[in-house]
Amino acid sequence: MYELILILPAAALIVSIFADVLWMAYLQLAVSVLVFCAVVAIALSFNSITIFLGGFFFMDYINLVILITVSTLELFVAFYSFGYVRTEIAGGISKRKFKFYYFWKNLFVFSMMVSILSNNLGIYWTGLEATTLATALLVSFNRTKESFEATWKYVIMCSVGIAIGLFAIVILYFTTSQVYGESLKSLSFINIMHAGSKLDKNFLMLAFILALVGFGTKVGFAPMHNWLPDAHSQGPSPVSALLSGVLLNTALLGILRFYQINGAAGIYYPRYFLIGFGFFTILVSAFSIIKQTDYKRLFAFSSMENMGIIALGFGIGGIAVIGSLLQIFFHALNKGLLFLSSGNVLAVTHERKIEKIRNLSKNFPITGLVLLFGVMGISGMPPFAMFLGEIYIMTGVFRSNIILGFLVFILLIFIFIGLFGKILKMYAGNNDSDERADELQSENAAHPFMIYVPLILLLVSSLLLFYIPSQFLNIVKSASYEFGGKIIF
Amino acid sequence: MIMEKIAELFIILILVSVVLNVSSPFIKFAIKLYSFQSLMLAFYILMGAVHFNSINLYGSFVITVIFKVILIPYFLFKTLKKVKIDKEIDMYIGIPEAVVFAGSLTLLSNLIAQKIINTGITFGSFVFTISLATFLIGAMLMVTRKTLFSQIIGFLTIDNAIFLAANSITHGMPLLVELGVLFDLFVSILILSVLILNLRRNVAV
Repeated sequence: MYELILILPAAALIVSIFADVLWMAYLQLAVSVLVFCAVVAIALSFNSITIFLGGFFFMDYINLVILITVSTLELFVAFYSFGYVRTEIAGGISKRKFKFYYFWKNLFVFSMMVSILSNNLGIYWTGLEATTLATALLVSFNRTKESFEATWKYVIMCSVGIAIGLFAIVILYFTTSQVYGESLKSLSFINIMHAGSKLDKNFLMLAFILALVGFGTKVGFAPMHNWLPDAHSQGPSPVSALLSGVLLNTALLGILRFYQINGAAGIYYPRYFLIGFGFFTILVSAFSIIKQTDYKRLFAFSSMENMGIIALGFGIGGIAVIGSLLQIFFHALNKGLLFLSSGNVLAVTHERKIEKIRNLSKNFPITGLVLLFGVMGISGMPPFAMFLGEIYIMTGVFRSNIILGFLVFILLIFIFIGLFGKILKMYAGNNDSDERADELQSENAAHPFMIYVPLILLLVSSLLLFYIPSQFLNIVKSASYEFGGKIIF
Repeated sequence: MIMEKIAELFIILILVSVVLNVSSPFIKFAIKLYSFQSLMLAFYILMGAVHFNSINLYGSFVITVIFKVILIPYFLFKTLKKVKIDKEIDMYIGIPEAVVFAGSLTLLSNLIAQKIINTGITFGSFVFTISLATFLIGAMLMVTRKTLFSQIIGFLTIDNAIFLAANSITHGMPLLVELGVLFDLFVSILILSVLILNLRRNVAV
C-alpha cells in the first residue's frame, strides 16, 4: 500500500517517455486518481508510525498531512492538465513541445514523494534537489528570454541554498555519528529522534540555522526569495500551481524535521528564528504585493506570504501549530485554484499584465468569478477554508504577543487590499479601448476541464470550512503533538 | 604521521587551486583547475581510505573521480566550445583586490574554525579551516563575477568545500547518499549547460 505511492508516479514517468501526449493525458488521470485513492486509504487506516522499503522511508502524522496535500492538488492538476494540453495544442503550439511535459511533471511529483516520505535525511536532500532539476525545464517551458533567465536564477539560487542544507546534514551526521557510529543509521530520522538529548547541543543549533537558511531558500523566506516570483510566474499554469502549492511545503518539511530534532534534544530557541523569518517574509511580501503589475507574480508573492504565516505559526507553537498544519492543506487548494483559473485567462489572452486585462465578468464569467472568490479565500475571508487556519494562527500569535499580532494583522490587511483591489479591477473594470476581438478572447476557447476544475476546487475549499473529515482532524491533532501543541477541541 | 603530512599537502593544493582561480580571468583554465581540485579531493579521500581501511571511502574515491574529475569537466568543456568565450569580461572587483579578499577570507575562516572545533576530527582542525575558506571563496566567486560560467564554477567550488568538510569532520557520508548527491550535482550541471546554450541565443553570456 505504502509502496504504491512511489511506484505509480515512477511507472507513469517511464511510460511517458514513449507515449503520445494526448494519450498520456488519459493515463495521467488514472495514475493521479489511483495515487489519491491510495493516500485516502492510508489516511483512513493510519494509526502509528510505519516504516517501509527497508527503513529508507517512513510515514508519520506530519508527512501524512503533506502527502494528503500533494495528492489532492495533484489530482486536480492532472484533470486541469488534460484540458490545458488540448487547449494549447489546439491554439497552435506544436505537439513536440509538449513531448516531455508529462515526463518532467511525473519526475517532479515522484521526487517530491521521495523526499516527503524519506526517513533518511540524505535521501530527503537528494529528492529535494531532484525537484529543482525536474522543474527547471518546466519553468523554461515557454522558451522566451525571460523564462530562461528565471530558470537560471531558480536553479543557481536553489542549488546553492540546498548545498548549504547539505552542510547542515553533514554537521548533523557528525553529531549523530558519535551516538550511532558512521552508518546510514545516523542519518535515519527516527533514530535521531530516539537519540534526542544525547546529542551535542551546539552542533544541533548550528545545523538548524544552516538548514533554515539552506532549505529556507527553497521555501522562499524573505532575504533569499528573489527567484520565487520569477520562477513561479514563468512556468505553465498547472506547474505553477504545483510549485506554489506543494513544493514549498516539501522544502518546509526539511526545516520542520531539524526543528523537531532540536525539540527532542531540548533546545527551544530555534522557534524565535522561525518567528523572525516568518514575520520578515510577510513584511517583504506585503510591500511587494502592493506594487505588482503581473497577476501571476502577484499570486507567487501571496504564496510567499502564506509560507511566512505558516512558519510563524510553527514558531509560536500551541494552537498556532494546528492552524499551520491546516493552512498547509488549505493554502495548497486555494493557491491551486488561483493559478489554474488565472491560467485560463493567460491561455486565452496570452497577456500577463494586470492593466491589460479588464472586464473578465463579461468574457470569462465563470473563471472571473472563481478568481474573485479565490482571492477572497486566499486572504482568509470566512466562507472559505483558509479562514480556519488563519484564525488559529492569529489566535496563537495574539495570545503570545499582542504587538506582534497587531503588526501581522495590519500586514494581512495590506495584502488583502493589494490582492483584492487588483483582481477586482480585472474582474469589473471597464475596457477603455473599443471592444475589438472580444468574441475570440472568451472563455469558450478553453477546454471545459479548465473551466470546471477551478470551480470544483473553489467549492471544495468552501465546503471544508463547514465540514472537515474527522480522521483528517485527528491526523492534524496528532501531528501537532509532535511540536508540543496540545489543544483540546 | 607521514600520511597526515601528505594529506595536508593535498588539502593545501585545493586551497591553492581556488585562489589561482580567483586570480585568473580565463574560463578554460578555471575548469581545468576545478578538475585538478576535485582530483586532490579524491586523493585526500583515498588517503583516508588507506588510513582507516574503509570500503566506504574507497567507493567514495571512485565515484568522486568519475563524476567530479572526469564527467563534469568534460561536459563543461563541451559547452564552452559551443559558446566560444574564453575570458571573463565583467567583474565587480578587480583581480588584485579579489586575491587580497580571498586571503582575508582564509584568515577569517581560520578564526571561525578555531572556535567551533573540538576533538574527534580526522586530520585536525586544519582540514575544516581549508574547507570553510574554500566555501567562502567559492561564494565570493559567485558574487563578484558576472559570466554565467563563473557562477557555475563558484557553485562547484562550494560543493567541493562541503565534500571536504564531510570528509574532515566525519569519515565521509554514507556511500548511497554520496552517490545521490553527486548524481544530482551532475544533472544540475547538464541542465545549467542547456540553459547557457539557450540563453546564448538571446543575450551575451
